[in-house]
Amino acid sequence: MSILEVVNVSRDVSWLPWAVQYFFLIGLSVACFVMSLGLAFDRGDRTFARRALVGALACGLVAPVALLADLHQPGRFWRFYATPNLHSWMAWGAFFIPAYVGGLLVYAWAVLRPDLAAAGAQSDHMLARLQRIVALGGRPVPRLATAAAVVTLIAAALILLYTGMETMVVRARPFWNTPFLPLQFAATAFTGAAGLVLLIGRLDGERNAAADTAAARWMAGALTITIALGLAWFALGALGLERTHAQALASVAGHRAWQVTALWAGAATVLPLLLVAWRPAGWTWLAALLGLHAAWMFRWTVFIGGQTVPKTGAGLYVYQLPLGHDGLLGIAGTLGLWLFCYLLITTVVPARPDRRSSLVSA
Amino acid sequence: MPDTRRDFLRSLGAVTVGAATAAPVSAGSARAAPAAAAPSAALADAGPHRFAMVVDVGKCIGCQACTVSCIFENAVPEDSFRTIVSTYEVVEDGRAGMAMLPRLCNHCADAPCIPVCPVGATFQQPNGTVVVDADRCVGCAYCVQACPYDARFVNHLTQTADKCTFCAHRVTAGLLPACVESCVGGARVFGDLADPESAVSRLVAKGDAKVLKPELGTRPHVFYLGLDDRLAGKVEGQPTLWRPSAEQHT
Ligand code: SF4
Ligand code: SF4
Repeated sequence: MSILEVVNVSRDVSWLPWAVQYFFLIGLSVACFVMSLGLAFDRGDRTFARRALVGALACGLVAPVALLADLHQPGRFWRFYATPNLHSWMAWGAFFIPAYVGGLLVYAWAVLRPDLAAAGAQSDHMLARLQRIVALGGRPVPRLATAAAVVTLIAAALILLYTGMETMVVRARPFWNTPFLPLQFAATAFTGAAGLVLLIGRLDGERNAAADTAAARWMAGALTITIALGLAWFALGALGLERTHAQALASVAGHRAWQVTALWAGAATVLPLLLVAWRPAGWTWLAALLGLHAAWMFRWTVFIGGQTVPKTGAGLYVYQLPLGHDGLLGIAGTLGLWLFCYLLITTVVPARPDRRSSLVSA
Repeated sequence: MPDTRRDFLRSLGAVTVGAATAAPVSAGSARAAPAAAAPSAALADAGPHRFAMVVDVGKCIGCQACTVSCIFENAVPEDSFRTIVSTYEVVEDGRAGMAMLPRLCNHCADAPCIPVCPVGATFQQPNGTVVVDADRCVGCAYCVQACPYDARFVNHLTQTADKCTFCAHRVTAGLLPACVESCVGGARVFGDLADPESAVSRLVAKGDAKVLKPELGTRPHVFYLGLDDRLAGKVEGQPTLWRPSAEQHT
């Protein structure tokens, strides 16, 4: 028996590339923040942790903008607070995001305050004056740093939880409805964050092998977990061990576009893993970009690719990236905003503080 | 209330007869035919109702009159649909036949689109109709993702979630939903499941009515008579030939 679908509806993608950018940036921010915790607890390589903090701040400031832009009625965002439906994970997210970003800003201020004051004391330029103002005296506040680190860590965990659950609970999409998804979001976020830390290292121009090695270790660990999760997901579907996973795999397996995507995803995880394991000359640039690519591509595949799978009809819906604000321009816009935030942060925050543990020793 | 277009035409006859015998009341007046208007009023009143639709797929000829009348009645924007008749060519044992499947929001009793809405803009009315408060909707499209039937979309004109409302505005006025009224084959029957004497109650009570994706436990209130099980879920077949979205972008 064969069925030919002659007429059916074709639905548009309704979570736009803005959503991909949001999930990408908030994931990077949370993972970078975790990598930066050495600053509060005086552990690990300080340069690595500072780069991670810069990444966490830049991504954490841009992510909510991307999320707001994904709403078709962004001016009504206040409704999330005026009439929340607490049965919805998305409603909880509206509370977790400001808690996380607010905590991150307090944490960053607490750990960077002495460095800011020291940089501000070196001259009387406008920037130095600004640094002195932001530092508010510059006395180390280790207790505040520790408290902010703990509170922000809780908020960061809630961000990972809600972003994963929000997608996972959608039973209508077998491709999303898997308990692996929150873990895959987290693992790929750490892959991308390690890439971002490497990239920031290249952008700030300071060679620091210890910081790069720390990033490589994070990336290797995250990629190994990503591969293990991907194989487990595939095995559940391919061996028919679980119905939803089998449905998810069946809905895409026969399509050439998805076969190419599977190969692409495999390469996007294995190549950076080989790079950070062997570290040939010039590995950092490539590993940085491949790590970021792996995190972004995973989200693109899940959100945009996932929405091209019809819930009732045959085949796949066609998606072509629009060039306007709900497509390419949106992606470019978030990257531009990220660059602006990065330049602003790295202008105010001194790139190379000369004290190793300024938080506790000053 | 007349439950199908045929019943409606029959009741128009009653209006005409009533008008002839009860002059000088105008035949166009709602008061002209108490016999016809009373059942409509019964559905329009506040009393406990559970609206539902029964679609006899054997009677559907795939003319898309419902699709078009819905678009005009509800100002559905270009390239979007609140209802559509999915049409399949089924080849079995060397014989080809056409299968029609009118699709719309199922007004599920356990609607997955409701709990996900972060601002409570999607809700179920006491009469079972699932509706969107367009003034409250933030356009997050979470409900669009959560509906297992692809019954929702974001309206490009209002930038809010949109879907079939069982033509709530018409039903409140004592009229049938536009798709039922325009159905050429008389395939769509609308009515009140809470009334055991209604046509939908009697058709559902026969026991052979099916729903789409029953395994999800959404308890749809659009029932199908004569539905082939192979069309009840995600249809495994050759993809659609007609793709308005794709054409628009190419
Ligand atoms: S068919 Fe979809 S939109 Fe309609 S009530 Fe059910 S889940 Fe909600
Ligand atoms: S699009 Fe509107 S109705 Fe749908 S979940 Fe979002 S706020 Fe609710």
